[in-house]
Amino acid sequence: MSEDPYAVLGVKPEATQDEIRKAYRTLAKKLHPDLNPGDRQAEEKFKQVSAAYDLVGDAEKRGRYDRGEIDASGNERPRERYYRDFHGPGAEANSYSSSEGYADFMDEDILREMFSRGGGGARFRARGQDTLYRLPIEFLEAINGATKRITMPGGGTLDVVIPAGTRDKQVLRLRGKGGPGLGGGPAGDALVEVEVQPHRFFTRDGDDIRLELPISLPEAVLGAKLDVPTPTGSVRMTVPKGANTGTVLRLKGKGARRSDKSHGDEYVTLKIVLPERLDPELEEFAQRWQAGKDQDPRQHLEA
Amino acid sequence: MISIHEFVIRARVEQQSVETWIAAGWLVPPQTEPEPMFSDVDLARAQLIRDLREDLGVNDEGVSVILHLLDQMHGLRSSMRDLLAEVRNARTSR
Repeated sequence: MSEDPYAVLGVKPEATQDEIRKAYRTLAKKLHPDLNPGDRQAEEKFKQVSAAYDLVGDAEKRGRYDRGEIDASGNERPRERYYRDFHGPGAEANSYSSSEGYADFMDEDILREMFSRGGGGARFRARGQDTLYRLPIEFLEAINGATKRITMPGGGTLDVVIPAGTRDKQVLRLRGKGGPGLGGGPAGDALVEVEVQPHRFFTRDGDDIRLELPISLPEAVLGAKLDVPTPTGSVRMTVPKGANTGTVLRLKGKGARRSDKSHGDEYVTLKIVLPERLDPELEEFAQRWQAGKDQDPRQHLEA
Repeated sequence: MISIHEFVIRARVEQQSVETWIAAGWLVPPQTEPEPMFSDVDLARAQLIRDLREDLGVNDEGVSVILHLLDQMHGLRSSMRDLLAEVRNARTSR
């Protein structure tokens, strides 16, 4: 220690013993290593301040220093270990440390697991974190069920079984497939949110499937047996004679599977489609079709 | 273990002070009968108490408050260290 002890303490060389003592106390309260357990620099600064005080805090020694009889480095007394050094990493648990500082956190299950410590051993257990995934799937995979593979951020893969009848935004929970537990605690879960992509012609309505089925004018007027797509393949359906646009036919049990293993239905809405190019024969028929001309399909729109 | 005679020399305190501090619960030596035996932790704690009272001008009530808060802080710091170690383990083992 070669610095001017008065400068270290922040006092003038002509300061009284009382002023020196006050200056030292003010600095020591701030810098004492035991009052700053986490601050490594505090110890170095405190050493300088106490060495300076050792020298000029004592009137007799101070006189000798002022007269140049001893120099500023002669009086550093080595300190044994500070109290805080018994609480550092790897220190044995000792009887003074108290857990009162977080007693009020103990309502939290996770903290109770973490901080409940047995016989000096510092162990805690905690369940791993849940991890979240978003998984886009095809419409028919949601209806019929499927197995999809997710690549996890760490590089591993996760096989996700999509049960038949899964809905859009449904969250599938894979137990124990989330983050690893701490201290032997159980792993968290993987939560997979399913995003069902729209289908070209099917739509979902709860457990039912809806389909708009275009039919020709003769099929509507005369009736027909038609092949209709369902999620599990085509089925033959009878369109009754005189069917109309908006007529809804039901295919029982062709909808999505419910949790009780029963199935919803497929509802087929008919839509009459005229030929793209106007047929002269049809035009001629319409010209002379008096009953058709007398029909008022907009009756229900009148105010 | 440190005897009371060695303890007062190394801690630079009066034997009577040490007895008072034990009675006040500031020092809890691992052994008190037939005569007190101290650990290294007790020695460092006694030096802290001496610093507080003599160098820092803290009165007895103040010493009690400071020790109580320090004990809580060391408990918290220790739990925090354990927690960080476990989190680090969990990260590297992932």
